[in-house]
Amino acid sequence: VRAARCISKYGAEFLLNRVLVIAWREVSRIRKQFGSRTSALVVLAFLIVLGLSAFALWNTLSLGSGLYQIGVSGNVPPLRDSRFVVIHVDAEQGKKLLEQHRIDVLIDGSQVLSRPDSKSQYAIRALKQYMEQEELERVGNTYPESDAFPLRARINYLSAGQTTGQTEADGATQQDTRPEETIIPSLTPPPLPFEQVLVALLYILPITFISIFFTSSFMDEKINRRLTILLSAPVTPFQIIFGKMLPYVVFTLAAIAFIAVQTKANVLLTLAIFLPTTLFIFAIYLMVPLFYRTFKDVTFIAMLVTTLTTAYLVLPAIFTDVTDLSYVSPLTLAVKMYRGEPFGWREYLFPSLPMAAIFGFSIYAGTHLLNEEFLIGYKPLSQKIGDAIYLLMSHTKLYLSVPLWSVLVIPVVYMAQIVILAFAADLPLGMTLGVTLFVSAFVEELVKSIGIVMLMDHGKIETSRQVLWYAFLSVLGFFLGEKLLVLISLTVVLQASISSVLFGTGLLLFVPLIAHFVFTALVTLLRTKTKLSYAEALTIGATVHFLYNWYLLGGLQ
Amino acid sequence: MTPFWAVVKRELWTVLRDRTIVIAILIQFFIASFSSGLFLGMLQLYDVDTILRYSGGAIRIGVVQADENQLGTFIDKHGMSVVPFETLEQAEAGFHQGEAVAILDAPRQANGITEVRIYLPESNTMSSIVRLVIQEPLKEYENFLRIQKGVDIRYTDLQGEPSISFEFVYSVLLPLLMFFPAFVAGSLTIDALTEEFENNTMETLLSAPLTVHGMIDAKVLSVVILAVAQCGLWLALLKLNGIAIQNAMWVFLLALIVSGIISLSAALGAVLLQDRERSQFIYALMLLTAIAVSNLLNVSPITILSRLAIGDYYTNGWMVSIFGIVLAGMYLLLRRISRRLTA
Repeated sequence: VRAARCISKYGAEFLLNRVLVIAWREVSRIRKQFGSRTSALVVLAFLIVLGLSAFALWNTLSLGSGLYQIGVSGNVPPLRDSRFVVIHVDAEQGKKLLEQHRIDVLIDGSQVLSRPDSKSQYAIRALKQYMEQEELERVGNTYPESDAFPLRARINYLSAGQTTGQTEADGATQQDTRPEETIIPSLTPPPLPFEQVLVALLYILPITFISIFFTSSFMDEKINRRLTILLSAPVTPFQIIFGKMLPYVVFTLAAIAFIAVQTKANVLLTLAIFLPTTLFIFAIYLMVPLFYRTFKDVTFIAMLVTTLTTAYLVLPAIFTDVTDLSYVSPLTLAVKMYRGEPFGWREYLFPSLPMAAIFGFSIYAGTHLLNEEFLIGYKPLSQKIGDAIYLLMSHTKLYLSVPLWSVLVIPVVYMAQIVILAFAADLPLGMTLGVTLFVSAFVEELVKSIGIVMLMDHGKIETSRQVLWYAFLSVLGFFLGEKLLVLISLTVVLQASISSVLFGTGLLLFVPLIAHFVFTALVTLLRTKTKLSYAEALTIGATVHFLYNWYLLGGLQ
Repeated sequence: MTPFWAVVKRELWTVLRDRTIVIAILIQFFIASFSSGLFLGMLQLYDVDTILRYSGGAIRIGVVQADENQLGTFIDKHGMSVVPFETLEQAEAGFHQGEAVAILDAPRQANGITEVRIYLPESNTMSSIVRLVIQEPLKEYENFLRIQKGVDIRYTDLQGEPSISFEFVYSVLLPLLMFFPAFVAGSLTIDALTEEFENNTMETLLSAPLTVHGMIDAKVLSVVILAVAQCGLWLALLKLNGIAIQNAMWVFLLALIVSGIISLSAALGAVLLQDRERSQFIYALMLLTAIAVSNLLNVSPITILSRLAIGDYYTNGWMVSIFGIVLAGMYLLLRRISRRLTA
């Protein structure tokens, strides 16, 4: 026993060593790539500084830079705001320019002249905000504080009252636990999420940027065939992927820690918040070198991924404290952190678990796709994805891989549905529900049936009985995974009635199970028994699924 | 067909042939339009004027001893409903019966400073809305107190119309939509060129009856066509959404010239470095620096674009022609550098 333990210990060390060797090789590759004198860290630091300064510039200079022409005459405080272009005029000339629409506003001493049209009125509002600040500063400097700021507002919170008042015995005033907050109204802007969202957005920059380098390193090795040599060496694909990813992940975490220090945030908490996000983005960028065929593919996929992930991360965070659905994005946690508001384990796990799960799935897929044949093939992307799914499923027993696939793709489906919900929220209310339900039905049917369809195309599944059997297994896997997800997330969000149908919180378990089986069987059978294409079969199945969900929501009654 | 147009056609064809890529572009398109729509909607969500216009009357603020202090008049002036109460206890009872969503207690004097207690609902959403809408009345009340104390404060009567949407559309959204395709174009130029270097197909390509600059020009032209097509589509979509764009031709031309400049400089980097990884890196750094520097020098194409679009009197086609000169300069520089490839 002791010997066995010893062997396993050294074995583990040996395996870990290989990961580190590959990681070190990667670091030296980066150093070679960017010259021997400029180490990657210097480049990184330079980059962050540049990013921060660009961010600062962007913030101060270009938000509405030069939009308003302001004529100034007489004793007026200086307009140091990039939105205003100042023209010094005398009062008469200024009035003429205002009439001719050459300037938007004329400030003559303490008098402000404008036109009734929108543009002039916008300028007035912008000016109002600026002048308020300027005047406060002036007044604060010239008068004693009690005269300059003569008002204090003390903010307290009352908990929601019961209309009948019979439940609470301890009096009408149920003071909230939050401490009283004293503010000076003109100096304390009401809390808005924008600023913290912008700061939180800053973290996405290095994550995306560095992961792009991870991708191009992989691509480079693919082009000069080093990857092939590496694959024939006694290392597993898992070690290669992990080893190559390690330095970039470490750089990213260092960059995150750096930003956290710069913005005076808790470094450990920040790292904990952004680690799942980092892994998630790396997971997606791991897929790029596996699937690309030309360099242009890479740029397009990278752009698509960047817009999708940014939208997924940022949009919910804007609604921090407005709706609990905002917890789907870890940026919300960062926003809360910057606001000094607490959040619990559930709130942390809710966005992080799906991201970590996708990372796991991506690594799993990566290790099985990292082979010469798959890397080199030049086919349409959709076909390549189909091949990948087939490769993933056919290497183990089908009765295991079919349901396992359904379980593993649930985080992806879940993310897709959240994104759909966020986008559809922009549509008119009646359409929001319809579009969300249809698209999510479509996505669900797609993931449940695609594995079976790919296996059919490669001749692994032939008879109708087999089709039905695997459709059942696939639905079962999806169903169990879904219930697991509901269990995890139920307590955090899911107030909206839409979500309860999307994730199926119904108590009767068998009706939905059978219904889902019918939809998937329909799609797969239509594909084999008729001449319909997969897309057509899928649309029919999704439509039936949609009608079923619609019925559950009471739409058909 | 000349070899030049054959290369342009081939470059465009490789993008369009693949439906997946076209779908990717479309998805990006939808995401961008949805999220900008959402962002605008969200600005409205937090916009005090919009809240007050649509539901100001429904925001009932309980004011204790409203007759004896000015607070009520300032709240009333902004379109909210004032619910007067005699005492704080009555106000709290009223709050629990849903007569008022928030309470302002009667102001008190303490050490020459006026204190107002504000009671907000526990719900985060409601309390942040109330804090937003009572901000302006509180500030006006503060100014009222200042004037009572003999403090001379100016420019207090400015009102105007809310300008956030206006500023967002013309200074963020429009430049983003017009220049984002240009950034992608630069990246694609690097892809198209370095792919030939790294796969060692450049020599084969050059053995065709085509000069080096002819080949580079063709590649640059094809990505610029792609970018400009996107810009045109965006402009049309903005018009459909009722966003007025003055000097549309100049705006379009500026977008075209900028995507030309960016693609040419990306090509320059690719010709010098000849590998994708480093070229893309340098390209990204160059873009960031260019944005910062052009802002500092006050010739930012972003500013010029937004000023053209709002019909600013002092901005005109001459400013666009400055960028035209830069474009010509870049073109000549690229010609010189690319001669190295044949040598």
